Amino acid sequence: MIEFRLNGNPQALDVDPTRPLLEVLRDDLGLRSVREGCGIGMCGACTVLIDDRAISSCLTLAGQVQGRQILTVEGLAGEGRLHPVQQAFLDHAAFQCAFCTPGFILATLALLKEEPAPDEATIKTHLAGNLCRCGSYRNILEGVRAAAEGQVLVEGGAQ
Amino acid sequence: MLDAEARVRGEVAYAVDLELPDMLVAAVLRSPIPHGRIVELEASEAISLPGVVAVLTAADFDRPGGPSLLYGAIIPDQPVVAKDRVRYVGEPVAVVAAVDHAAAQAALAAIQVEYEEEPATYDPLQAMNSGAPAIHADHPDNLFVHGKLRHGDVDRGFGEADEVIEETYTSPLAQQASLEPHTAVARWQADRLTIWTGAQAPYTVRGALQRIFGVQPEDVRVIVPPLGGGFGGKGHVRIEPLVAAVARKTGGRPVKLSLSRAEEFATVTKHPVVIKIKTGFRRDGSLTARQVTLYWGGGAYADASPGLIRASVPRAVGPYRISAVQVDAFGVYTNLPPSAAYRGAMSSQTTWAYESHMDSIAARLGIDPLEFRERNMLHSGESFCTGETMHDVHFSECLRAAAAGLGWDRPKTRDSGRLCRGRGLAVMMKSTIPRSVSECRLALDADGVLTLYTSTVEMGQGAHTALAQIASEAVGVELEKVRIVGPDTAVTPYDATTSASRSTSMMGGAILDAAERLKDRLREAAAPIVEVEPTALVIAGGEIYDPASAEDRLSYAETLERSDLKSIEVAGKHSSQGGLDPETGQGVATPHWHQGAGACEVEVDIETGKVRVLRYHSASFAGRVVNPSLARLQNDGNVIFGMGPALLEEMAFDQGQPVNPNLSDYMLPSILDAPEELGSELLESEAAEFHGIGEMTLPPVAPAIANAVFDAVGVRIRDLPITSERVLRAIKEGPSG
Repeated sequence: MIEFRLNGNPQALDVDPTRPLLEVLRDDLGLRSVREGCGIGMCGACTVLIDDRAISSCLTLAGQVQGRQILTVEGLAGEGRLHPVQQAFLDHAAFQCAFCTPGFILATLALLKEEPAPDEATIKTHLAGNLCRCGSYRNILEGVRAAAEGQVLVEGGAQ
Repeated sequence: MLDAEARVRGEVAYAVDLELPDMLVAAVLRSPIPHGRIVELEASEAISLPGVVAVLTAADFDRPGGPSLLYGAIIPDQPVVAKDRVRYVGEPVAVVAAVDHAAAQAALAAIQVEYEEEPATYDPLQAMNSGAPAIHADHPDNLFVHGKLRHGDVDRGFGEADEVIEETYTSPLAQQASLEPHTAVARWQADRLTIWTGAQAPYTVRGALQRIFGVQPEDVRVIVPPLGGGFGGKGHVRIEPLVAAVARKTGGRPVKLSLSRAEEFATVTKHPVVIKIKTGFRRDGSLTARQVTLYWGGGAYADASPGLIRASVPRAVGPYRISAVQVDAFGVYTNLPPSAAYRGAMSSQTTWAYESHMDSIAARLGIDPLEFRERNMLHSGESFCTGETMHDVHFSECLRAAAAGLGWDRPKTRDSGRLCRGRGLAVMMKSTIPRSVSECRLALDADGVLTLYTSTVEMGQGAHTALAQIASEAVGVELEKVRIVGPDTAVTPYDATTSASRSTSMMGGAILDAAERLKDRLREAAAPIVEVEPTALVIAGGEIYDPASAEDRLSYAETLERSDLKSIEVAGKHSSQGGLDPETGQGVATPHWHQGAGACEVEVDIETGKVRVLRYHSASFAGRVVNPSLARLQNDGNVIFGMGPALLEEMAFDQGQPVNPNLSDYMLPSILDAPEELGSELLESEAAEFHGIGEMTLPPVAPAIANAVFDAVGVRIRDLPITSERVLRAIKEGPSG
């Protein structure tokens, strides 16, 4: 039995601990925002936050999250209200096909928890592991800047 | 974008998210060799394994009442699964459907195939040689199309030139690499097929499946959810025949096939090409003749290449005034995955050649590259080498806008030590599809809600948003009251394809047509209420009234209610005309020319060869911008996407075996590759029609960068991508002319 908190709620799953976390989140728990783009941790589409760090869930085994806090985009928005990072991405049209968007939003959240006022170079370095094939990087950068300037950090994120 | 909130919430349901009750998963057994015979294929053990429901091989085809094996957009040369012969590494040989991935993989492992390998050929020029192995018996020279353009007397033109320059440019295989892989779910109910697929051309998919399975068009229903990127890679029939054919053997259980990233690389590629370009010019900078010969690698199957390669012919010349032009474009089979459109299709490769070549000529003449282009640029009213009169062309304005954004007139930034700076620019022309049709339906209901039924595919470009805006404005209904339905071939009318940047123009045109019909119907409905002839009524601002007596102003909802109508539904259609003579290339290449340009400043590290694009300014001609935010995303997105094929992307093969079929060894541009300064202009003109902008600023990227590298360090790179290794080697070999 693997026990962890998912988007603030306790989870106990009887799954093979060697299965990829991505598969467990998508197939067993139905979290469709966690997406496979490359399967080898290069594209960032499957990014989730594990204890506030942005992690590729395709390279994480289910057993590794025992006792950890996992956050996905499903856990971000409050009652009818977007999380400020989501709002900043929306305001700046920081997506096209949006397959990569949940990963970018979570990577941004991890960055802002670590560095609330990042400079441009820090933002770029931090987001270099997330790929947007449509090429929306200019708008993404603007969205992240706006999120940082708006002091959007919400305690815990998942609540 | 209309569904922007769903996009940031991660709630958009792509094909990969589709789950149906009792759904099986499919897996594909693929050829491990580039070319050879299938001596024996034994699949009987696989079907007996636990959890395995169906196994599909070539033996299931061409039997009485069974599906046909071969299909193809123009040449029916491609088997759904290989029969007797395989022609590239990764070619599907068998498909299994099982209860889960593990069972499917076990089934694949239980299929025994014995191959006898034969010599293979990979390079289009070598494949055309007499000694090369024939990949298809009915094409002994491996040639499947020869597109031609003949304009004026090129021999005389070269004779009249003060000088002639001939160069060879190459562009390699690349992968469209949409982040969402090709995914489709197929379900048969009796003899009717429903398929959900991430495809850009639902009606093309329907036509192919209908022919393969020998059923009526209405027996195949194609539903397309939003795509996680397309970029041309999903532009034709891809995995749909595989999944539909295996699903036919599951007793009605739906089957899902979703490719792995490695399989993506074995499924579709950008066309590789070798382009020989030769131009005669006078000392005053005028051009006397141009000859372009293109050797396009088509891969193992022709797919949509015959049409794309013919379309490449007029796109190979450039938007310039040249009195004599000859183009020959050869489409050649090779033992590699089938080639297909890749954002900026064919124009990216041709622009790479002609815009680099233009700078080579400018350098020889000692004329500024912008000034040299301006002297030769085509303007509206002038004749192109196809014989068509150019209309609504703004190549010069696009190029000047990009150059002005960069500050072309300003003094060059100084080099510092090993870092050399240079500037370059490029302009492009791209035809869209002549003789294509888009249809739509508009339904206005008594609540004032306007529903647009369209088969245009939403793949992140924001087409549904732009089309909703066009409908909203044309009918006079608030955007919030516009709904979009589609694409679903059982519900939404015909559309040729969501590609070639045609949707805003073509589907937009169909909507404008439908809106006029809808307004006619509203006038007819309102006439008895207002008691005047329908033709006397005016519709403006969502109201219907008689201008002679401004009192009775009817809203649409009121009109419907008082006419006892629940809704008014109308159809709209827009067709493009044109076409070129296959022998001479004369005619009309496109309903209108797509236009874009770029200008950039780069920094070249002469010790490592590393090229950094510091500043990039792009411009495209939009005719009329529908949504400025989305339009800008297209311009910027093209430039950033274009950094990939310009600097990073090349699918590498070793004896036909893919070397880098993953996103670690095959690099896509990251946010670190985006230029620090990125400017964008969208040009409009008075009363202009909608022009496509989905690709126009991409093709100039590679030649603009290469021209800037030449400006910086005096070396001409003629092979893409412009890697550090290539630049460093060129620097060591010394300046080139």
